Amino acid sequence: MALRVPVNLRKNLSVVLYAFQGLSILAVIVGLASLLLLPLDEYSRRTYISENALLPGQVHAYFGGSEQNIVRAFRREVDLLGNSTSDVVSERMAEIFRSAGLKVGKQRYSYKAAGGEYTGENVYAVLHAPRGDATEAIVLCAPWKNIDHLLNEGGVALTLALSRYFKRWSLWSKDIIFLISSDARAGPQAWVDAYHDLHGENIQSLSVKSGAIQGVVVVDYPGAYHRFESLHIIYDGINGQLPNLDLINTAVQISRDQMGLRTDLQEMWDHNDGYRHRLRTMLRGMVNQALGHSTGPHSSFIPYHIDAITLATHGDGGWHDEGSLGRTVESVFRSLNNLLEHFHQSFFFYLLMAPKRFVSIGTYLPSAMLLAVGLTLTAIRLWVDPRSRSGEVGEKVEEVKEKSEKGEKGKEGKAGEVVAVDVGPKRELFLPMSIVIGVHFCGVIPFAVFNSVDYKSMSSAFYIFIAASVILPTLISILITLTASPHRLLPAFHLSRCFSLLFLGMFLSTLATLNFSLSFLIGLFSLPLTFARTTPKSVPLALLNSILLQVTSPFAALFIIAGYWGLGVEDILKEASFGWWVWRMWTPVVVWCVWWPAWVVGRISVDSSFVMAAMGKTG
Amino acid sequence: MKLPTWSSLALLSLLPSACLAHSQHTSNWAVLVSTSRFWFNYRHLANVLSMYRTVKRLGIPDSQIILMLSDDVACNPRNTFPGTVYNNADRAIDLYGDNIEVDYRGYEVTVENFIRLLTDRVPPDTPRSKRLLTDDRSNIFIYMTGHGGNEFLKFQDAEEISAFDIADAFQQMFEKKRYNEMLFMIDTCQANTMYSKFYSPNILATGSSELDQSSYSHHADNDVGVAVIDRYTYFNLEYLETHVKNASSKHTLADLFNSYDPVKIASTPGIRTDLFRRDLSEVLITDFLGNVQNVEVDGDGMILDEDLLALARSAGYNITEQEWKDAMTGGYHEKTKEERDDVVGEQRTWEGPARVHKDRESDFWRNVMSAGAVGVCFVGYWVFSMIDKV
Repeated sequence: MALRVPVNLRKNLSVVLYAFQGLSILAVIVGLASLLLLPLDEYSRRTYISENALLPGQVHAYFGGSEQNIVRAFRREVDLLGNSTSDVVSERMAEIFRSAGLKVGKQRYSYKAAGGEYTGENVYAVLHAPRGDATEAIVLCAPWKNIDHLLNEGGVALTLALSRYFKRWSLWSKDIIFLISSDARAGPQAWVDAYHDLHGENIQSLSVKSGAIQGVVVVDYPGAYHRFESLHIIYDGINGQLPNLDLINTAVQISRDQMGLRTDLQEMWDHNDGYRHRLRTMLRGMVNQALGHSTGPHSSFIPYHIDAITLATHGDGGWHDEGSLGRTVESVFRSLNNLLEHFHQSFFFYLLMAPKRFVSIGTYLPSAMLLAVGLTLTAIRLWVDPRSRSGEVGEKVEEVKEKSEKGEKGKEGKAGEVVAVDVGPKRELFLPMSIVIGVHFCGVIPFAVFNSVDYKSMSSAFYIFIAASVILPTLISILITLTASPHRLLPAFHLSRCFSLLFLGMFLSTLATLNFSLSFLIGLFSLPLTFARTTPKSVPLALLNSILLQVTSPFAALFIIAGYWGLGVEDILKEASFGWWVWRMWTPVVVWCVWWPAWVVGRISVDSSFVMAAMGKTG
Repeated sequence: MKLPTWSSLALLSLLPSACLAHSQHTSNWAVLVSTSRFWFNYRHLANVLSMYRTVKRLGIPDSQIILMLSDDVACNPRNTFPGTVYNNADRAIDLYGDNIEVDYRGYEVTVENFIRLLTDRVPPDTPRSKRLLTDDRSNIFIYMTGHGGNEFLKFQDAEEISAFDIADAFQQMFEKKRYNEMLFMIDTCQANTMYSKFYSPNILATGSSELDQSSYSHHADNDVGVAVIDRYTYFNLEYLETHVKNASSKHTLADLFNSYDPVKIASTPGIRTDLFRRDLSEVLITDFLGNVQNVEVDGDGMILDEDLLALARSAGYNITEQEWKDAMTGGYHEKTKEERDDVVGEQRTWEGPARVHKDRESDFWRNVMSAGAVGVCFVGYWVFSMIDKV
């Protein structure tokens, strides 16, 4: 199919340019608007159980009565060990598991990240399914200290009690592993890595193993007080991966419909299922997904394609106690036990906006894609724009055109064609390409620095790096302005923006399919890059652009996140470094090697307007 | 010596009339199939085992029952009560008991094996327990359950049998004189579509739900943790348990079919009678679900009759040939027929059983939609080819 561009468009490129500009603005607006529409009833869907085998809430749960006394006894046991070292704790836990007749394993681990050392000892027990074939397993996990570093008294006690209780049933089709990890962040990662023989040298191998893990439920029930109000379901995994929606739906359905236990998502404690609460739930989920960090022990399992959730208790004014939680876990385990194959029916890509309402990837993906398309369309517009061409060859064509117009009338048609077919003046690619590629290579520097610096020197390193990033673009623009010939300057900056945006657009649209939220947020922050250009003739406009770029820089984003959690920037960087070394979290790579270079290229084009204005090379 | 001869002759003379009055079958067979696998389909197994229990209760021996179970939920590790299958949450009857003979189990339950069984195209080394050794005097009860759709029934989540496959298999059976009469009962979603393609004579069919209707489970057992029986089968069983107490029961299929309540069953059961010659109110339930051993006498019955007539005449009775024939064709049965006319009237109220599609209008619109889709594709192709030329 030969695509023929009408000759008029060749002559009058501004129509094309305006069309591209309009389209890219439209794409961005539609992308943003469609995200805001998602919480409406018309665009979101009610959740439903897709896997027939699960049968959630169809069994009576019998945990309770005298079992509750056992939980309280274990609670006392845990309480006594509260201040002990991990050696003592793991030995005592192992003893309890052994007395219940289970095979016990222990695992020491040690991670180094951000100058700190993270050590501990996991202890776990395997209940072999009495009539099963030991090819599959499900895990009940309780971290000794939860994600907020609180002693997980209730969770550990409940896990110990359930290990005795589950032993009495003979209906398990899969082995059950009871894992008491020494903390909520590194411990589960060390254990799951070792379970799959992918652990580092400072992590012990597991002495006892079972089959492929089909599902994980983490119990987070800290504090000495027994009663709680509602169940907080935490589901975000490393790198924004999510567990299968069926698992969450099962937990929600069992706790709500069978146990009469309210469920919360994303710390929305008073969700009224209205538009604003849905939107807030969704945005909180997106922030967690974009950061890609661990939100609980379950997060470490998800990259191994093991569906996992954390059930955390919330509040202490309610009437639910360890009995309700135990029955909920029991019922969830009966459902997991019913599974015939790995979770696969329901969604892996979704945004939850209420415990029973979600949007799937087909509905939400367009908004991030449209932002990326906006960037790509801008890049195409910059390429088509005649300003991307250096002047020399252009003049020659103008001459030809003038000559033919002055010449005999019979040749006019031919001359017109010559102009139409001719590709016009050449674009000089070497300089802009080397700018873009060079800056992207520079992205390795902050990535390497922040992943190797100690926590103590993290903040100073960060401020030095901010200063460097502020000066670097100006330096590069001065260097280029000084060395390159004046008529090549504007096209060079123009084309470097073009390549940078093209790369960013392509990368973000790819990333959107993997980690929608990260792609969307970077796309949102990168919007000023689409209009921040070199304006040597208008310094105030350049100043405005420069301020806009500063406000939407990766550093600004870091400060916003730090403010959101009330932490220091160095804590966020430490978390990122820990994430890289322990969880293999890719967010820092994306930020420093994709977003930061794009931002630097944008800064170079804006800063060059000051430099050019100062040197009088206004083109 | 004379008296016993006389009495035996009289007895013999009654036999042909008895054969005419009832169906002319001499053996009863049952083929009971559960086509679905997996623990959560417990109820399908319970359905089939309930039917198995019923036909055994009414006298069909294991040697004449082909039981096909595609999964073994009794020994599934998920079963709270190992080695048992219950069809009710009261767990009164263990269907899996110690008196069960499964003929085809697990992966043996395939479409191929099912059709080979029906048509008896089996390998020569097939044991008798896996063969349907019927003849043209056998009444066969075929019960199937599983997950079905419009004109198909899934086997094991791996393959499916279509309504045409079963219809053709039945036709082969007819041609090979493998049955006298057949009762086909099916409990799946859209079950009535499964018998819509039958074209062989003497087949009576009934199903649980019509096109676009689901067939629902009756209740779940909260300790086993699954639904234990389907509604249609449950209400069939309820009738059979409460009314058909033993093999001498005189309840007819008309009674059974009239007991169906679409509200209770939560779907519309269907009955197809157009291939069946007899009036349903004359067909005993035990003609299919029980084992009634009729004896057929070899040779031409009329010769015997003439001998009897001669005997009667020689004994001094003055009987004309016509009177004798009337007595032989069983005129007294017409009375019972009249008695049951009201029942027959009710029976006729069932909607046309062979109708599969709900109404012709929706059918028309379905056709228009598909024609439109093809049209759009064509126009699209044309437009793009035009663009290409330009």
